[in-house]
Amino acid sequence: MTRYAMAVDLNRCQGCRACVEACKIENNTPNAVFWMHVFRLEEGEYPDTKISFLPRPCQHCNNAPCVKVCPVGARYKREDGLVLTDFDRCIGCRYCEVACPYGVNFFNWRNPDEAWNEYQVPFDDPDLAPVTGGVIPSYRNPDHDRPYGPEQRLTSGSAHFKGVIEKCTFCVHRVEQGMLPACVDTCPVGALKFGDIEDEDSPISTFLRDKESFQLLEELGTDPSVIYVGGTPPTSQAREIERPLTGV
Amino acid sequence: MTRRSIVTAAMIIIGAVLMVFAYFAGAAPWCNTTVECSNPRLEWSPAIFVAGVVIAFSSALYYSVAKDRKK
Amino acid sequence: MATTHDMVSDRLPQGVGRWSRGWFLFMALAAIGVAIGVIGWVIEHDQGMAATGMRDLGTMGGATWGIYISMVVYFVGVSFAGITVAALIRLFNLEHLKGVARMAELLTVVALLLGALAIVVDLGQPLRGLVNLFRYARPQSPFFGTFSLVVSGYLFSSLVYLYVTSRPDAARLAESSSRLQPLYRLWAAGYEPTVDQRARDRKVTFWLALAILPLLIVAHSSLGFVFGLQVGRPGWFGTLQAPAFVVLAGVSGIGHLIVLAAIVRRVLHQKHRIGIEAFTWLGRFLMLLLFVYLYFVVVEIFTSIYQPTVTEQRISDALLTGEYAWIFWGSVAALVLPAVGLAWMAVTRTWRIGWMVLFGLMVNLGAIGKRYLVVVPSETHGQLLPYPVGAYAPSLVEYAVVLGLFSLGALLIGGFMKLFPIVEMEETP
Repeated sequence: MTRYAMAVDLNRCQGCRACVEACKIENNTPNAVFWMHVFRLEEGEYPDTKISFLPRPCQHCNNAPCVKVCPVGARYKREDGLVLTDFDRCIGCRYCEVACPYGVNFFNWRNPDEAWNEYQVPFDDPDLAPVTGGVIPSYRNPDHDRPYGPEQRLTSGSAHFKGVIEKCTFCVHRVEQGMLPACVDTCPVGALKFGDIEDEDSPISTFLRDKESFQLLEELGTDPSVIYVGGTPPTSQAREIERPLTGV
Repeated sequence: MTRRSIVTAAMIIIGAVLMVFAYFAGAAPWCNTTVECSNPRLEWSPAIFVAGVVIAFSSALYYSVAKDRKK
Repeated sequence: MATTHDMVSDRLPQGVGRWSRGWFLFMALAAIGVAIGVIGWVIEHDQGMAATGMRDLGTMGGATWGIYISMVVYFVGVSFAGITVAALIRLFNLEHLKGVARMAELLTVVALLLGALAIVVDLGQPLRGLVNLFRYARPQSPFFGTFSLVVSGYLFSSLVYLYVTSRPDAARLAESSSRLQPLYRLWAAGYEPTVDQRARDRKVTFWLALAILPLLIVAHSSLGFVFGLQVGRPGWFGTLQAPAFVVLAGVSGIGHLIVLAAIVRRVLHQKHRIGIEAFTWLGRFLMLLLFVYLYFVVVEIFTSIYQPTVTEQRISDALLTGEYAWIFWGSVAALVLPAVGLAWMAVTRTWRIGWMVLFGLMVNLGAIGKRYLVVVPSETHGQLLPYPVGAYAPSLVEYAVVLGLFSLGALLIGGFMKLFPIVEMEETP
């Protein structure tokens, strides 16, 4: 039985945020929505400060509180480990968002066609065509308009409808085609690993073997599928010192 | 046993049965680990549950409103 | 002193079926309030919920449940007292309270409707919500209990209760030839005040009351569980949520009932039906509930300051001395002062309705504040991962919709009062 998991090598992550960018482009997430987020944390007081980076995708918990509380079963756990959201069924109550201890959920506060407004450049201006080659962002990946999995539900991609919730899908549309999630594929230093954790010979199992690891908020009993190697969990003294864009 | 009390009792029982069935057998199971956990075993079970509630409490309505007609 | 029979002539009692200028003005204002609410909701539905002040938790630094959910909890809470009082009157034959029984039942029904509407305005996909909840709702989600037990069970049973207890008055009204006679005939459904019918009704209301009370406890507790079971939300997670919800529900409901009873008593000249004994009983009940609730507040504060986790400390700092301190201490004052005032009245045995109305309003403001403080601070200040602290303030759209909800309640109660006597008519000798 395939069981997907992600491993994060904190010794390698240097905070470039390529994974955050890749996720945004791959999944077409709108303003201020960061399915993949990398904390830049600082502990201590200057000059004895310590900086660390902590990538935080959705943890795809095996005992997910978000799945438990969804009133209509739009948020569900698949046998292969992925926790996905059925955008056709979601009623937008946002209970999963308040139940999640990791803060990975994003609600579609706007109509999809009004949700991206960071592009102020008039891309249909004929003077710009030679420069842009006629490409008009945001490019929308057609893979997101298909249902996925044996259950055939609409679970991939971002901003399908206003008023529904979404989050990191471990790039279900890529994984089902045998590819890696965008963040894992893009990481320039290989800090992210992904694969079948029940397969002893998979890259992720090989990587994790005989290594000390921890998980975020383990004590809550959520049993996440994301395993961190090469560091320690953020202490209560850690402060985030770089905030992403917050304006919707 | 008047007709009225029989019908009232029947409504309460039917309502209760519908509620118990809908909650324990029809609606989604109490788990969060598989795709099945997210679907009701019988769709519209919550509506059946509400119907059970309505029928059970309507028994009071019936008992109060129904005219005398001894069996 | 009015005659023992409410109907001297063929005029319907308690101003039913007769418009007055004051009533018209009241209803017009309420209708304007509802219109404002509808406009607000249409804007929200059209633009998406970005029109509200809510935003995502975590990286976006907002609160995703705000004043709407606070109002859901508040309105469902108000509904508690209505049917409780009505049920207690029936179960313990509290004669002097019979005058407030029907308005208590009406308050429950209206409050539950407003609570259900408040859920609907908070949904991102409200139409889907109405269909999918009936189609797919999962019992494992505490929302199932809120939706199915509270909205359907509690609401319907309260409607049945209201109807069964109103039939005798409908039959009485159907006797006089007014414009509303067809309505009353239908309402009465052939009611005849025979010995057998009255015995049946006593039995029915007794058993209904008995069935509604546990339903009420389960319903309000399930609402508390919506918050109390979330291990990932410090400030919410805890065993006290369910009981505290039930008790504060009683406080806000009784407070509301006192205000409504005082208004009806004055406006409809019902001093003979709603005597000072009724207010005494309600006042004592409110005082008792307030003491229990304030005990809960003390327990909560003490637990959160003795040896809190880092996150709980952050939340309690924000509540006691930080961003939310004005709401917190304001709400506590709005609950403590009435408790003291009621205790004073109890000790000196002088119950003044004017003061009680003020206390009723104050405890409701306190309840709204406390509901808000349950919902929001845990979201802005209760992140377990090191996100920075967030912020939330309701937007104009949210205030408009909330105004619309309150106005709709006023409209429904005011409308009812012109269709049907809100105080049970005295039995003819």
